[in-house]
Amino acid sequence: MTIRHNLPRLLLPFVLALPALFVFVGGYTQWVIGYLYLFIIQGYVAWLLFYKTGQSFYGYSATMALGAYTCVVLQRLTNVSPALQILLGALISALLAMLFFLSTSRAKGFYAGMASFLLAILIPKLIEALYPITGGRSGVQITGLDLLLGSDNYFLLVIFFTVVIVAFIAWLINTRVGKIFTLIAENEDLAQATGINSFKYKLLAYTVAGLLSGLGGALYVNYTGSISSVDINVFTSVSIFFIPLLGSKRSLYGPLVGSMFLVLIPELFSSIERYLDILYGLSYILVMIFLPDGIIIGVGRLLARLFSKIVPPKTLGNSS
Amino acid sequence: MVLQGLITGIIIGGILSLPVMGVALIYGVTGILNYAIATIGTFGAFTTWLLLPYGLLPAILAGLLTSFVIGFGIQQFLLNPLIKKKGNDLTLFFIITFGIATIVAGLTKNFFPRPTISIELPKLGTLFIADVAVDINKVIAIAIAFSILLVMRFLEKTTKTGKSWIATSQNLKMAKLVGINVEFVYSLVSGIGCILGFIGAFFWGVLYNLTVNTGWDLCFLGYIIAIVGGIGNVWGGMISALIMGVVISFAGYWLGGMWQSVALYVILFAILIVAPKGILGSERSV
Repeated sequence: MTIRHNLPRLLLPFVLALPALFVFVGGYTQWVIGYLYLFIIQGYVAWLLFYKTGQSFYGYSATMALGAYTCVVLQRLTNVSPALQILLGALISALLAMLFFLSTSRAKGFYAGMASFLLAILIPKLIEALYPITGGRSGVQITGLDLLLGSDNYFLLVIFFTVVIVAFIAWLINTRVGKIFTLIAENEDLAQATGINSFKYKLLAYTVAGLLSGLGGALYVNYTGSISSVDINVFTSVSIFFIPLLGSKRSLYGPLVGSMFLVLIPELFSSIERYLDILYGLSYILVMIFLPDGIIIGVGRLLARLFSKIVPPKTLGNSS
Repeated sequence: MVLQGLITGIIIGGILSLPVMGVALIYGVTGILNYAIATIGTFGAFTTWLLLPYGLLPAILAGLLTSFVIGFGIQQFLLNPLIKKKGNDLTLFFIITFGIATIVAGLTKNFFPRPTISIELPKLGTLFIADVAVDINKVIAIAIAFSILLVMRFLEKTTKTGKSWIATSQNLKMAKLVGINVEFVYSLVSGIGCILGFIGAFFWGVLYNLTVNTGWDLCFLGYIIAIVGGIGNVWGGMISALIMGVVISFAGYWLGGMWQSVALYVILFAILIVAPKGILGSERSV
């Protein structure tokens, strides 16, 4: 029973590791898969913070940007090794997330969300203002790990990091700490009544989310080899926030499916690229109205309904 | 220079106050924050620009009507059924109206032949305020912004429709009981909010250049300033918009164009931290 119950969680790392085989395919397909994985990281971070801990946060592009631009700045101004750049990027992003939580802890729910939304608007503007170092809207190129390690090796490294991060989040939500996160999300007053210091746990959730999102951002810039303020604007933030919602905020596999939809659909419809905004906008609305539990659960229900129409339950009962 | 900066700031603030008032008005009555107002208004302003060869007045009326119809239609056929079904969930309506804004911005990008427009109005001359030269069109823009606020307050107090939206915002159940068609009031107010977004975008197109991105900027600022002013508080929104206009103007003088937006968003962020419920607090009682 326990193994059956935990099977989806245990299988997830293997499911995520499987696309490593694309290294044998190579070329653009491999590149797109790696790019998808960088958004899977962000999707799981959003799932942990927004949906599992109940914290209204829309600033994922800001934490991601901080991880990425720390690498850019360190590479341009110092001789720090790429591995240390990535680590510092993750730590600085965690620090930003902590400071954000501490400064907005008086604001509740929607207002805190709006403060984080402002952060997602502010950071790209700051990057544009600092264009001599950051390259602003035109962007900046770095000698990423993909060049130093070779694109195949770095592709595998991205997949490895994604598997580790997702496995960590899947493990975390099943620990005592993770269960407290969920309790805070569902009823913070109740959590406090039981003696839980919700402030401490929320601070922890923001720190972990900032760390992982910053790590994802640092991996991103090393993968793409360049970054601009356009790559991490407010639309990126909203897209990341939308990933778990699209896949399913209630399923462990939700952020995976949501990321696939968000990254692969534009690739499939590249011929109608100019209409993608409209397609995205429509998907935001349609999912919120018709699939509030996301694609996984929505499609599952639809299949169950179709199946029960094709093979009515009574027939099933008789045949058995 | 200080006076010049102040005048420019008041003009920018006056234009910004229009979408802000639109957001505040809609929230005050319906209880939802409509993110899409300025993008719908920008679509209307592009429509006006497209129809300018047929005369200024018909073009303005077409832009105004387009914005109203889109705002009214979206509220009537999409948002009202959702309010009925799911209540006033701010996060839900943030995503839904963000989606609407994305669609409308995408349509603006694809439907109109140019990505950047400038709406040419007849030159009415220059006015001198203590030796500072100000284009009369800018004075008209700010006069219209203030007049709209006063007209809205006047309508709320004197007309049946105005009173019905006040009643709806104060006590929804009672408003329904006395026979007010609440859904129609919601849609009407939403249409008027989008007209305010249109006027803001129109004047932005007259005084500066209007692009899809400027529409998004008006959208972000209209939404955020409305929250900073006190969610749903029209006066709070107006005051905040004027302050932010002055901030934009002086930041432009002292820090340069690139730091203008940074200064603005840092101040907005700081206000949200210090006063999470806005400068004047919310005006909505339900």
